[in-house]
Amino acid sequence: MNEERRSDMRMEARKSQKNGMNDTVHHLPKAKIQKDPLAWFFWALPVAAAMLCAWFILHDFVFAGPTITIYFQDAQGLQEQNSMLRYRGIRVGNVTSLKLARDGQMVVVRVKLEHSAANIARQGSLFWIVRPQLKLGEVSGLQTIVSGSYIAVQPGDGVRTNVFTAIAEAPIVPVPGITITLLANNLDSLENQSGIFYRGVQVGEVTGLQLGQNSRFVVVQARIRQEYAPLVRDNSEFWNAGGINAHVGLFSGLQISAESAATLVSGGIAFATPENYGAAATNGTVFSLNEKPDPKWQNWNPAIPLGQTPQASKTNNAMPQISPQINQMNQ
Amino acid sequence: MDKVVACQTCGLVQEVDDVPFGAVVKCARCNFQILHRRVGSRARTLAFTIAAGILYFPSNLYPLITAEYQGQYAQTTVLKGIQTLWGMGQYFIACLVFCTSILTPALKILGLLFITLTLHWPRYQKTRAWMYKVIRVIDPWNMLEVFLLAIGVSMVEMGEVATVHPGRGVFSFAAVVVLTLLATLTFDPRLLWDTPKKRYE
Repeated sequence: MNEERRSDMRMEARKSQKNGMNDTVHHLPKAKIQKDPLAWFFWALPVAAAMLCAWFILHDFVFAGPTITIYFQDAQGLQEQNSMLRYRGIRVGNVTSLKLARDGQMVVVRVKLEHSAANIARQGSLFWIVRPQLKLGEVSGLQTIVSGSYIAVQPGDGVRTNVFTAIAEAPIVPVPGITITLLANNLDSLENQSGIFYRGVQVGEVTGLQLGQNSRFVVVQARIRQEYAPLVRDNSEFWNAGGINAHVGLFSGLQISAESAATLVSGGIAFATPENYGAAATNGTVFSLNEKPDPKWQNWNPAIPLGQTPQASKTNNAMPQISPQINQMNQ
Repeated sequence: MDKVVACQTCGLVQEVDDVPFGAVVKCARCNFQILHRRVGSRARTLAFTIAAGILYFPSNLYPLITAEYQGQYAQTTVLKGIQTLWGMGQYFIACLVFCTSILTPALKILGLLFITLTLHWPRYQKTRAWMYKVIRVIDPWNMLEVFLLAIGVSMVEMGEVATVHPGRGVFSFAAVVVLTLLATLTFDPRLLWDTPKKRYE
């Protein structure tokens, strides 16, 4: 370095001597000055920062889903900021605030919907809280023990609205089928959603129980699923299959039978149809519910072609309707 | 003829004319860049400071981390975390976190803005120098590393039970710290005592 510099100085000195000057320092080389194309480049940083902020704001305020208000009778289990609105198992919104309504009769729950779920804010949407439930024969909402309760929704298709009133319990999803009425002397162990069994296979369930008009019977509403509807005929016999049937015989010893494990706890109804079966039952056909089965009923073994598996299950909200096949049979 | 500069690379002593903004000086012999002062110090510091100032808001308003456990969500912003610490009775740590993650970045950004914007004013020269000193003093207290470390640890530790996502805040936060760091790095303190007459960018 030093040598280089010295030789430089010598060179400069020689140059200046040629020019006839004594001072060696005066004729220094000139540094080049060049344009720097990247000189403005770092201003991209504040621009990028501003764009990022703009995107955040756009995302939060412009592309955000609507905030809806739901009135609950009881908001037990909900938490501010934490509880979710779920539809088809995924989160579509968050509870942002919980307040008591001004008159103190309701809880006002505000839910911020995701952008993709904005369609939920339509008239006819049903909201309810899913909590852990332990009933005889049925356990539901178990995951909410750990995760906390959440709000579930069944979207409606009315006009857009932002205010809803919640329902107390999950709506019963209408399963296509026929509804029949059974008259019983005694309810025994039957309850809502007890099963209806044919040869031990559940083909329907109890949907309603009440006393008859003059209190002489219990009126049991039962729904038979569409695909099993042809099994129910005018001359079918129904009996209460709940609990345990114990039979003590001299030679056979103790015989215990039950329709199924589920009927042990929640009760159930079984039925049989004779070989010379009559016309298919329709909506509202009335049967009497026997307390015990006649042994010969259990030997009935009719060959009944079942209807096709209903495609109606795809359309969730399809009301129970009679399939064309059954109509033909009626004619 | 203004200045005589020796090239840092080849040692050639040469004259340098006034350098307009957006230009670089190249050595007459070896063609390497000659830096008399840090290039574009004031403009770069200003750019970094503005970017940091913009990102300061999302870094404090948005959640740093989102923890998800069995469908339960918990989001934490810096302020909420400080509130929680205060509520737990950890007053000292709450104050420390407040100072290091909210106060010092804000002071630094405001100070650098003040210095770079008023640099050519004949007034406030003493104030600017004092401000620069303050920034140098609080610089080491800008300890994002500790904070990020805490987040990283919680992400690893809670990974077993909960899903922890970094939120928007944490990226903005990291960006703010890097940008303020770059801003102090690119700032040439010699600009502080240049008299307005002979300013070298």
